[in-house]
Amino acid sequence: MTEPVASSSGSGRAPAYGGASARPEPANLADILERVLDKGVIIAGDIRVNLLDIELLTIKIRLLIVSVDKAMEMGIDWWQHDPMLTSGEQGLAEENKRLRERVEALESGD
Amino acid sequence: MTDRGTYLYAVTRAPAVTPDVAALDNGTIRLVEHRDLVAVVSGVDLADYGEQGLRTHLEDIRWLERVARGHDAVVAAVAASGPVAPFRLATVFFDDVRMRARLDECYPALLRALERVEGRMEWSVKAVVPQVGEGGDVAADSPPPQLSGADYLARKRDAKQQREAAADRGAALGDTLHQTLSSTVVASRRLPAQDVRLTGHKGTMVLNAAYLVDNEAAQAFTDLVAELRSQNPEAVVEAHGPWPPYSFATLDDP
Repeated sequence: MTEPVASSSGSGRAPAYGGASARPEPANLADILERVLDKGVIIAGDIRVNLLDIELLTIKIRLLIVSVDKAMEMGIDWWQHDPMLTSGEQGLAEENKRLRERVEALESGD
Repeated sequence: MTDRGTYLYAVTRAPAVTPDVAALDNGTIRLVEHRDLVAVVSGVDLADYGEQGLRTHLEDIRWLERVARGHDAVVAAVAASGPVAPFRLATVFFDDVRMRARLDECYPALLRALERVEGRMEWSVKAVVPQVGEGGDVAADSPPPQLSGADYLARKRDAKQQREAAADRGAALGDTLHQTLSSTVVASRRLPAQDVRLTGHKGTMVLNAAYLVDNEAAQAFTDLVAELRSQNPEAVVEAHGPWPPYSFATLDDP
């Protein structure tokens, strides 16, 4: 059995193996969520729930769950555009804007 | 009496010891044997852990935190006494029979996953470099009177080049750190950078990776990270662990 080892940064988890040493402090929630929501063995249970589809009230936590890359894959990229819109709605807003501009141009007799 | 389901935390190899740790939903941890595997489970109320219940509860960050930490605590307790394949959060079955059938379907892959991680734990390493400023003393608006337009533009261009050079250096540092660490471990997996605005770091995360480290090599690994940190004083290089092997005990062979 190996000796317990603390993380070199001085914070974080205590060893999960070898003995009953208490954890020095709770692990960072972002790190736990990154693992239990997105890693580990993934098999289909009887209860189907899309963990990556969580519409949490706190945007901050949503972006802790997925990386920015993965969020963009899912169409979450509000930081690039209007924060109130998803990218689907953003596409619609842009189309509306283009159409309005076109109508104005036509009405002014171009 | 509401319906109960079976919540699956992790799988380990037989024979196993029931871990002394709290279960979710005031349940009791128990072991379910299936051939050479042992599933670590507890009973949960399907009103809370069924489809509707989960959809509602997962929107509540306090509930999510409690369940995520509870889940991880069980996984960590199992890791204390044998190889463990941690499962993702909220893998719930209507009963043990259905769970065993599902485990049987991926039985060989689960055995391989356990072999891969036996005697090893996962360490997370992150490296953050400070953000290079947005061109320091160059005003965003009109150039100061003593600066010609050409000088102003030259300064902006230089600042941009500095930022790009810093970004290149940061990326190169991340790569170098990862190469050095990877060469000493069983396996590694580079992960996307976490958004540093949300993790509280200031700067650019140039490395976010998981390393599978033999238990006997853990001290040497953390020593190496400490050495890399002192070699690169401009970067914040941190190791956190040990974690159960979430990133490595997967069904797909790497």
